[in-house]
Amino acid sequence: MTGKNDNLEVLMQLALKGDQRAYASLLQQTSHLLRPYLARRLNSAGEVDDLLQEILISIHKARHTYDGNRPYKPWAYAIAKFRLSDFLRAHYADQLYHAVDFDELEEMLPEDVTETGFSYESIHAEVQKLPEKQAAILAMMHQDGYTAKEVAAKMEMNESAVKVAAHRAYKLLRKMLER
Amino acid sequence: MIDNLIDSLIADAVELKPAPHPFTLSLQWLGVAAIYLALSFALFGQRPDLAAQFHQPWFTAEIAALLCILVATSLSAALLVFPDLHQLRGFAFAPLAAFVLLIVVLFFAWQADTPPALLPVHSFECTISIALFSLLPAGGMFFVMHHFASTHYRWAGSVALLFAFSVGALWLRLFEVNNSIVHVIEWHYLPMLAIGVTGMWLGKKILKW
Repeated sequence: MTGKNDNLEVLMQLALKGDQRAYASLLQQTSHLLRPYLARRLNSAGEVDDLLQEILISIHKARHTYDGNRPYKPWAYAIAKFRLSDFLRAHYADQLYHAVDFDELEEMLPEDVTETGFSYESIHAEVQKLPEKQAAILAMMHQDGYTAKEVAAKMEMNESAVKVAAHRAYKLLRKMLER
Repeated sequence: MIDNLIDSLIADAVELKPAPHPFTLSLQWLGVAAIYLALSFALFGQRPDLAAQFHQPWFTAEIAALLCILVATSLSAALLVFPDLHQLRGFAFAPLAAFVLLIVVLFFAWQADTPPALLPVHSFECTISIALFSLLPAGGMFFVMHHFASTHYRWAGSVALLFAFSVGALWLRLFEVNNSIVHVIEWHYLPMLAIGVTGMWLGKKILKW
């Protein structure tokens, strides 16, 4: 009764009557069934394992909503899909929560450059290799000590454009210095 | 890891009675609603011109549409508490058809309302009365539904609250002496939209598992 190919509906009916062997077989078969489904939708094996555990617990909690008189798989997949959506929602919400805002990043980047141990003078030659406008912006910000707002006023640009140009310049500089 | 979990789950696997079929559940809710309405009429009475009103075709049609909403929402709520909607997905959309029917009936009732019946002196009091009357059925519904496992908890909450509000709307329509269809649309039925949205929020709060 607890063989691999047993009918899942029958196994659940027996499980609801308290047959622990049938229930163990049902949960094993369900996990084999759901693992590839989750693996196709998630990145890491760890995430698949975590979510699979959650789904099995949910199936356990909701087993009274299954009577064994209708196909088992749609019922189990409905729960799996529900938990997967929850997991993905939480996952992306978490990523957004920890994401650094682009404006914040721009504010942080000049600090990173000055805190790496080298001065503007020491990378002056590399700065001169940058596009003219980017080089001018970096010179004003790091040689003359202007803020992004002051640079924007002097160059008749808006502040965000100055920050974006500076950000691009830092990226190019980093590449040059890493070579 | 999974094997350990399965071991702990089977250790907890005692004999369990399966939940009733959604049709049975729906009938139970309808039965309780009928008793609640009957008790209310026994305690507070009904509109004195009720028998005469049932000779008005659009009034009768409106009550019939409300009854359809009651049946459809109870059935839909009963299905939505099952993770797989008991594999009867089509029935879960029954309230849509019932609401379309009510809208059509109200439209024709409004067309037939010539000269328009006088508006009653009260207005939002009706909405409040319906909402208060619906509290008990709504509480009961959510209590029962909470013990199931809805994977569509927002919709389940919305439909449950619409069922409860329909019980209230039916009671008031049979209790209050009021022939103004404009008033009925404005203060009895339009608030159902807000109730549906509130139900979604409540469903998320109460039925999420």
